[in-house]
Amino acid sequence: MKPTTHQICEHCGLPSVGARFCCAGCEAVFHAIHDSGLEGFYRLREIASSGPAPIGADFGAPSAGHFARFDAPEYLERHAVMEEGGLYGVELYLEGIHCAGCVWLIERMPRFLDGVVDARLDLGRARLSLRFDPALCPLSRVAQWLARFGYTAFAVRAERIGARTRLERSMMVRVGVCWAIAANVMLLAIALYAGLEHYGDQALASAARWLSLLLCTASMAYGGSVFFRRALASLRVVAAERSAHSLRQVSMDVPISLGLLVGYVHSTVATVTGTGEVWFDSLAVLIAAVLTARWLQVRGRRAAGDAAERLLSLLPSIARRVCGDADYEEIPAESLRPGDLFEVRAGEVVAADGWIEQGSSSVMSAVLTGESRPEAVGPGAAIEAGVTNLGSRLLVRVTASGRQTRVGKLLQWVEEHGERRAPIVQLADRLGGVFVLVILAAALVTGLVWSLVDPSQAVSHVVALLVISCPCALGMATPLALTVGVGQGARRGIFIKHDDVLESLARATHVIFDKTGTLTEGRMTVAETYGSEQAVRLAAALEVHSNHPIAVALRDAVTFGPTQPECSDIEEQPGGGMRGVVEGKVVAVGHLDWVLSQATGSACARDDAVLVARMAHDGLTPVVVSVSGRIEAVVGLGDRLRPKAQELIASLKARGITPALLSGDHPGVVDATAARLGLDTQFVHGGATPEHKVRFVQQMRKRLPQATIIMVGDGVNDAAALQAAHVGVAVHGGSEAALVAADVFMTREGVEAILELVQGAGRVMNVVHRNLLGSAIYNALGITLAMLGYIAPLVAAVAMPVSSLGVVVSSLVQRSFVRRNYTKRNTQRRSENHDTEECTP
Amino acid sequence: MSVLYFLVPLALLLALGAMGAFFWAVRRGQFDDLDTPAIRILMDDDN
Repeated sequence: MKPTTHQICEHCGLPSVGARFCCAGCEAVFHAIHDSGLEGFYRLREIASSGPAPIGADFGAPSAGHFARFDAPEYLERHAVMEEGGLYGVELYLEGIHCAGCVWLIERMPRFLDGVVDARLDLGRARLSLRFDPALCPLSRVAQWLARFGYTAFAVRAERIGARTRLERSMMVRVGVCWAIAANVMLLAIALYAGLEHYGDQALASAARWLSLLLCTASMAYGGSVFFRRALASLRVVAAERSAHSLRQVSMDVPISLGLLVGYVHSTVATVTGTGEVWFDSLAVLIAAVLTARWLQVRGRRAAGDAAERLLSLLPSIARRVCGDADYEEIPAESLRPGDLFEVRAGEVVAADGWIEQGSSSVMSAVLTGESRPEAVGPGAAIEAGVTNLGSRLLVRVTASGRQTRVGKLLQWVEEHGERRAPIVQLADRLGGVFVLVILAAALVTGLVWSLVDPSQAVSHVVALLVISCPCALGMATPLALTVGVGQGARRGIFIKHDDVLESLARATHVIFDKTGTLTEGRMTVAETYGSEQAVRLAAALEVHSNHPIAVALRDAVTFGPTQPECSDIEEQPGGGMRGVVEGKVVAVGHLDWVLSQATGSACARDDAVLVARMAHDGLTPVVVSVSGRIEAVVGLGDRLRPKAQELIASLKARGITPALLSGDHPGVVDATAARLGLDTQFVHGGATPEHKVRFVQQMRKRLPQATIIMVGDGVNDAAALQAAHVGVAVHGGSEAALVAADVFMTREGVEAILELVQGAGRVMNVVHRNLLGSAIYNALGITLAMLGYIAPLVAAVAMPVSSLGVVVSSLVQRSFVRRNYTKRNTQRRSENHDTEECTP
Repeated sequence: MSVLYFLVPLALLLALGAMGAFFWAVRRGQFDDLDTPAIRILMDDDN
């Protein structure tokens, strides 16, 4: 029995068995690209590639109805911005973007579509900025053109984008301005540290201090105000609660604000009176550095905000309520009340959950379930907000609208969870607060002690202490390390939405896989054969004429050589098997009972029956082959384990992670797969419904409170389970709703990807711990030496930025999610395959 | 050394100019996407 030849799809690079393409979608996109002369796409694909190439829609060429909603006038109004010259600007979110080739291809749109003036793609956010003239080129045509290449377009709501972008931009400006001020103050401070006031022109020194005061005041007012406001708010909350416990909730802004104010007041007094040290440079740098950390965190949250926005943009904002006989009233979708009747025309998206009162149509619920095949619905059928109505007009009675819809509840959950911060960042904050207080206390002690011992040195030692101590690792390097880690992950096709997830991933103890397809190939292949090989060959020849998965599996298992056996009188019985005449003999292939009923006068040998029963018990599908009326062979078909599944599961276990399998597939198959991989049976369940999955995760959390659970899923049915677990991972090809519920989105499937995720997260946390440790040692050493009087202010002034730089660089140069060596092996195998492709016909 | 009384304020004025330019660039959205421009330069504009 020859093994199937493994080729890779010419378009997306995923394995395709014995064909040029892995699916009809890839083939369609491949031809679309070549027909348009855009083959350059393939050259650029390897650059910044984060996953497989865009795969064409599974449901064949999308009908015009799909895109009708893009042309509705309200649509343009809600989503597009009018510019001069009658042009409109619109932002579209595109699904299926993943590499530089996509940028190149999409930005060529103006060459193909008249009326499109400019197309700019933001690769990281998969957002297309389009400037076009709707009179020349309606938006639906743009969406259709994109769909040919496998990209699905959704318009992002203008007002929501605006708010977040404005926030990010204003933060960026604040950071930039504060750094500019800090840099200038530092330049002036160099002169002062170099001894301008002792050896140089007193007037100049005084001018330098006054100028520093001026600049620092600007920085305090513009940048520092962020901290002061939050510190006040935090104190107000604590004062209102008035308990010892609430003292712990004092945010880090309070010590920072305190430090800033004390430093500022002292320095101002020193400047005015002309005596004493000034620390304007430290203050300005502190403000700029902490603002940068905050900005990085906001930027790091982009993916989460983007995901929620995308989902929101999928819901229509306007609904058409029916009042009276033929009267429609256009109202905001959220204003629909349960019991209202609203209309959904062809091509539109359903605005609220409900059931169909009138009309029959087909709908596509890819947003919710990831299933892009249309389903037929009729009166009485339940329908949810977010599905697209493909066919004809529907009248729907509302059961839930706005926030109460399934999708709405998901969005609400996302918003509530959006503000959480990583435990390690919270720890860093608390430590930072404590740190500052400790420093101030130490400074006080140093000042007092030294003024008794040797007053002339007291001040310089206090200054040295204050300058050399640096909470950079706490305030800045930790968020930086997490953000950089997330960015690296993104380049590997792992999109982490919140950086606090990294910590949970590193500590993960359990991983729940949602379907056997993650561990197995997801296809039927021949696992066992008993009996005459010749009979199997004849059976395969017969099965060439069928598209049933069993037929495909049998076909792949056999190679025919130059001539295929001739078949005639072919008859296929759904649910039973196939029968025909091959090379002159009557052959029947199928289930045991059916085959027996076909072949008259044949008895079923006891061995065969036992064999069939055993195979079924093992989770294989038994297929019986009879030739000329006698059973000649029994073939067991099953889902093969993915090639490295065993090793990968072992690697997971080696990391201390227990794998679990929670699948909706047949329990027999699930148990068999789990047994082959050596999974603990208490963590294996087949035939699991979505409710079972959620309950399983919740029970697991109750039973094992110390565990950190990762759940891998791809449909909206998994969304609740994804939320229930500590970390939810959604996989490429899943539904939008799953993407929103998940904490991590991966463009690659399989155990290997999960392993990479967990290992990468572990490495990032190592960097963070390394930073904290390094900073702790540096500070302990520096403060001790300063207190003992061994450090001159100048030395401190140099040491502090060096240490900060060290910690920041350590965060930046981490190699947590770098492409590992196995990629080289993959590319080698790819070129080997190409060689063999050309040799064998 | 007294030339510093002239030079330092001049330098600050330049810094102010730079900040203005930064502000303008941020307003125009030039800093929104820092990754894709790096890829765009690798593309040939033939064909």
